[in-house]
Amino acid sequence: MIKILLIEDVVDNIELTRKILVSAGYEVVHASEAEAGMEQAVSEQPDLILLDLGLPDYDGQTVAGWLSADPRTAAIPVVAYTAWPEATARQMVTSYGCVGYIPKPILKVNDFLTQIASFLPSQQEYDPSR
Amino acid sequence: MTLPADPRIQLVPASRFTVEQLTTLYNQTRVDYLVPMPMNAARLAEYIRTYDVDLDHSLVACQGDEVLGLAMLGVRRDRTWITRLGVLPSTRRHGTGQALMEGLLEQTARLNIKFCMLEVIKDNTPAHTLFRKMGFREIGELLVLRRSPTLPPPDPVIADAQPLDPVEALDLVGRNRGTQPWTNQSETLNNARDVSGLNVMLPDGSHGWLVYQRQKFTLTRFAYKTDVGDPPTVAMAFLSHLHYMYPRLDTQLENIQINDPHLPALYKAGYVEAFRRIEMWFGDPPKSLLS
Repeated sequence: MIKILLIEDVVDNIELTRKILVSAGYEVVHASEAEAGMEQAVSEQPDLILLDLGLPDYDGQTVAGWLSADPRTAAIPVVAYTAWPEATARQMVTSYGCVGYIPKPILKVNDFLTQIASFLPSQQEYDPSR
Repeated sequence: MTLPADPRIQLVPASRFTVEQLTTLYNQTRVDYLVPMPMNAARLAEYIRTYDVDLDHSLVACQGDEVLGLAMLGVRRDRTWITRLGVLPSTRRHGTGQALMEGLLEQTARLNIKFCMLEVIKDNTPAHTLFRKMGFREIGELLVLRRSPTLPPPDPVIADAQPLDPVEALDLVGRNRGTQPWTNQSETLNNARDVSGLNVMLPDGSHGWLVYQRQKFTLTRFAYKTDVGDPPTVAMAFLSHLHYMYPRLDTQLENIQINDPHLPALYKAGYVEAFRRIEMWFGDPPKSLLS
C-alpha cells in the first residue's frame, strides 16, 4: 500500500485530507508539528510527503529543506500543501526542493487525488479502480 | 480594564491568560490569514521573551464569556510595538480590531510613551486600512527573505573571518546600525539565545561584521554592518563563510529594509523573497531609534 505522510496542524484539514486519501486506498501517517514530521519521514519512509508550509514549531520550508538535504529522505517526493498565494507558493517550492504544490482548501476531491497521483513515482500511480 | 467605543467589547490584560491559552487563541485568529504563521506555546513564549512583549499591557478582547481576539504590545524604554493582532474569523467586522488598537494606543499613553511602531503584511488591506485610520503612517517596505539549505554555499571569498563569541557579537549589535524595525533592534539580539557572529576583513582593507542566532534547524535574526568598503562585497564575504560553516541550516531573515545596501549580496547568495511587510509608525520617533 502506498504510504503518505501528512504534516499538517489544522485539525479540520487533517481530518478531511486523511479521509479522502484513505478512501482512495492510501495509507496515511500524520504529524502535527515540523520536528515530529521530520522524525516520521525518517522512520516511516513514506512514498510521498504532503507538507503544510505553516507549522507551529518550524515552518514547512525548513522541513522541506531539511528533508531534501538528508540522504535518508532526499529521494522522497515532498509536495507543499498550502493556502499561500500561488506566486509565493511556487517560489518556495522551487527554492526548497519540493516536487510541486497543492493549494488548500480542497475544492474537488478527484482533482486532489489526480494531483497526488501525479507526484508519485510512476510505478505507484493512483488507480481509482483499485 | 479598558472600555472601548463599543461597550459590549471588553478588553482584559493578556496576562490573565496562560501562554497555552494565548497560543490557541492566536492560532484561531490566523487560520485564514494571508500567510499562516501558527505557533506552539514554546514558540510564542520565545517570541514574548525575545521581543519584550509585555503581557500586562497586551490585550484580549472578550464579549461576555466569548473570546474575540487579541493584540500584543512590545515595550522598550521610549517606544512600543503592536504585534500578533488577530480577531476570530467568525467575529470580524464588528469593531474588535479597532477596539484592540485603541486599547493598545491607550496602554502606550499610560506608559507615558509617545511613539508606537508595527508591521503589516503587504496586501493585507483590511489591517492596513485600520492602521491608517488609527493614525499610523507608512515608513517603508520590509522583506522577509529565506535561503534554502538545498543550495550549495556561495563561492568562497578570500577574507580573514574571525568568529565572535556572544559578548563580542552583542557589543557590535549595540553600535549604530541606523533605524531598525522592532524585530531587528539590538534589544532583540540581546534577548535571543545562541547568538554569535563573524568579523570579516578583506585583502583590500574593507571590513564588516555579521551577528546571527543559530537555532536547531535555522539561522535567523541577522544584524550586520559594513564598517569600511562596499556593502555587497563585505556581505558576500560574511555570507560565504557563514553558509560554509552551516550548510544544513535553513536561513530566515525578517524585515530587511528594502533600501538595505547589502541586499545584492543576499540575492547573489541565494536568498529569495517570501513576502513583504509595510512598516508603519505612530507619533514622532524618539532619538534613541534614530541614532
